Amino acid sequence: MIRRYFSLLVGILALALLIPTVVEACPSCKTIDDPIVQGFKWSILFLMAMPYIVSGLIGGSVFYVYYCTHRAGNRKPPSNVKGV
Amino acid sequence: MNELEHTSYEQAEGESRPISNARLAVLVLLGAEIMFFAGLIGTFLVFRLGSVTWPPPSQADVRLPIGVTGLNTIVLLLSGYTMFQGLRAIRQGRQKELRNWLFATGLLGITFLVVQGSEWIRLVHHGFTLSSGVYGSVFYVLIGCHALHVLVAVLWLLVVFAGAIAGRFSMNRYVSVEVCAIYWAFVVVLWPLLYILVYLI
Repeated sequence: MIRRYFSLLVGILALALLIPTVVEACPSCKTIDDPIVQGFKWSILFLMAMPYIVSGLIGGSVFYVYYCTHRAGNRKPPSNVKGV
Repeated sequence: MNELEHTSYEQAEGESRPISNARLAVLVLLGAEIMFFAGLIGTFLVFRLGSVTWPPPSQADVRLPIGVTGLNTIVLLLSGYTMFQGLRAIRQGRQKELRNWLFATGLLGITFLVVQGSEWIRLVHHGFTLSSGVYGSVFYVLIGCHALHVLVAVLWLLVVFAGAIAGRFSMNRYVSVEVCAIYWAFVVVLWPLLYILVYLI
């Protein structure tokens, strides 16, 4: 069941990518040549990417610590559990 | 609860967790801080890319102290190095070295703040203030927020330094030093990005 929904989702995304449409990050900006539009566009793209970067950094850090702890095996307790 | 019991309790609690609560908390805090600065940088991008000329014509005579701030950037990067060395020292149980490295880090952090403050005073005397249009607002808010974070980091470092003098840290107990080092690394890594954005571009 999950696989079917996943296939459907991938199919919809692939279909959306096949439809050539010009889109703007700033929907209320009409004139592309205006510098302020470029400012809004890059600002929105930057802010849109940040949550993913932050999530990736936190997730990556947790995974890295977990990986390092388990790579060391159970010979000694993980260093992160000790401290004040 | 003595140290042995304390460590055993934390060890039993922590073995089921991939990361300690203190580390996770500081990472989440930094996530919020990154989003906060992302908002400010996003605002800067709107004004910077939205202007044909930068600085705006009304502020064309303003000259930011690029050279001095560049040297100050090196000071802050050096403080990141000394903080890292302090963390490495306590991981190997060298308490005296930890104190020395923390002292050096604090000194470099205070130097950074003093230089920033003196440059701000000079700019204000030249008539470049927070109300000097978009340019002044963006500059003082963005750089001021970072300076405020450095100030908080220095205060945090002083608390950790007091703990180091009191001998509260050892090679088995250094989480306080570590989370402070993570926060310090954040303010150090963020600064070159802000310097390039605000001073150089």
